[in-house]
Amino acid sequence: MQPTLSIKALMKAITIALVCAALALIIIILPAEYNIDPTGFGAKLGLTALAKPTINSVADIEFKQLSDNFDVIVPAGRGVEFKFSMQQFKKMKYEWQTNGEPLYFDLHGEPEGDTTGYFESYAIATLSKMTGSFTAPFSGAHGWYWKNTSVSPITVQLKVNGEYVIIGLKQ
Amino acid sequence: MNLSTIYLSVTRKFYRILFSIFALGIILGLIPFEAAAHGVDEKTRNFLLNNTGVQFIAFMYIGAKHMITGYDHLLFLVGVIFFLYKSSDILLYVSMFALGHSSTLLLGVLLDLQVNAYLVDAIIGFSVVYKGFDNLGGFKRILGYSPNPKRAVFIFGLFHGLGLATKLQEFQLPQDGLFINLVAFNLGVELGQISVLIFILIAISFWRQHYSFKLFSTTTNTLLMSSGLMLIGFQLTGYFTN
Repeated sequence: MQPTLSIKALMKAITIALVCAALALIIIILPAEYNIDPTGFGAKLGLTALAKPTINSVADIEFKQLSDNFDVIVPAGRGVEFKFSMQQFKKMKYEWQTNGEPLYFDLHGEPEGDTTGYFESYAIATLSKMTGSFTAPFSGAHGWYWKNTSVSPITVQLKVNGEYVIIGLKQ
Repeated sequence: MNLSTIYLSVTRKFYRILFSIFALGIILGLIPFEAAAHGVDEKTRNFLLNNTGVQFIAFMYIGAKHMITGYDHLLFLVGVIFFLYKSSDILLYVSMFALGHSSTLLLGVLLDLQVNAYLVDAIIGFSVVYKGFDNLGGFKRILGYSPNPKRAVFIFGLFHGLGLATKLQEFQLPQDGLFINLVAFNLGVELGQISVLIFILIAISFWRQHYSFKLFSTTTNTLLMSSGLMLIGFQLTGYFTN
C-alpha cells in the first residue's frame, strides 16, 4: 500500500531530490542545452559543444546573397589583391572598371587552409573593364590581383553580387 | 498437487512470460530513440512545414511518436499509476488525463492560444514533482489529506495538452484540414500513451510482486520528484535566457 512517510523521511526525500536535480542541471543539462557552464565541467566533458550552433547554420547566416560596391585604389607601379571568402559552388557576379586605363589582372582562387601557395586562375588579361561571373570551384579566398604599371594610381570601381564574406584588400 | 500449488505455478509461468515481453519491449523501445524527446525532430519538421490538407495517418503517427518519446508525459503517468492496483482505477485516471490533455490540445491550436512553451513545460515538470510528492504521502503528512487525485490528474492533464499544443503551434499549421489533422494527432497521442502504458503497467505489476517494490518505492518517487525538478530547471532556464 501507499506509504505515508514521516516528516523526517519526507524531508530526506525532498533534499535528495533537490540535490540530485541541482547537480544534474548544473553539471550536465544546462551546459549541454544552453551552454551555461558555471562549474566548467560541461566544457571538460565536451557537453557545451552540443549547445553551440552547427557549422551549417553559421554558413547559412553569413553566406546570404549580398551586393557591394568598392573603390579599390591600385598605387602606381604596384599590385594589389582584393578577395572574398566563398564556399564551394557559390556564385559571384561582378563588374569592374577603371577610368579607362587598362590594368593587368588575374582573377583567381586559393583553397581554404592551403599552405603551398597554390591558386587557380579563372581569367587573366589586361583590360580597363570587365563584366562576368564565376562559381567557386572550392571553398577559399577568391578575387582579383590588379597590377598598375603606370606612374599614377588607378581606382578600380568594383561591383559584386553573390554569396561571399568580404576579406578585402591584401597588399 | 493441490489447487494452490497449481495456481502458484501458473502465476509464475504467467509472470515469466510477462517479464520476457517486458524485456523485449525495452530492447525494441530503445532502438528508435533518435528523436529528441522534446520539440520535433528534423524529418517531422520538414513534413509539417511542407504538407497541406488532411493527413490523418501521418498526424496520428506524429502524435503517437511524440507521446512515446516524450519523457515528461511518461514520467507523470508513471507517478499516476504507481499506486493504482485495480484496472478500473487505472482506466479512470488515464481517462481523466486523456480528457484533460485532449481538450487543451484541440482548443489551444484551434483558438490559437498563445502560451509560453517554456512555462507550460515547467508546469508539466511541476506535475511530475507533485505526483512524486503525493506518492510519498507528502500531502497526507503535511496537510492531513491528499488533494483529490482525480481532479489533480485532470488539471495537470490540461497543462500537458497545452504543452502538446505549443509544439504544434510552432509550425503555423495550415487551416486546410486542421481540425481533422488535430483529431488525428490527438488520437495518435492516446494510442502512443496506451502502448507505453502497457509496458509501464507490466513492469510495475511485476515489480509489485517482489519485496523490492516496497523497499524502493520511496526511492523511485524521490527520483520522480528529482526528474520533475530537473525539467522545471531546464525549462525555466530556457524561459529566462530566450
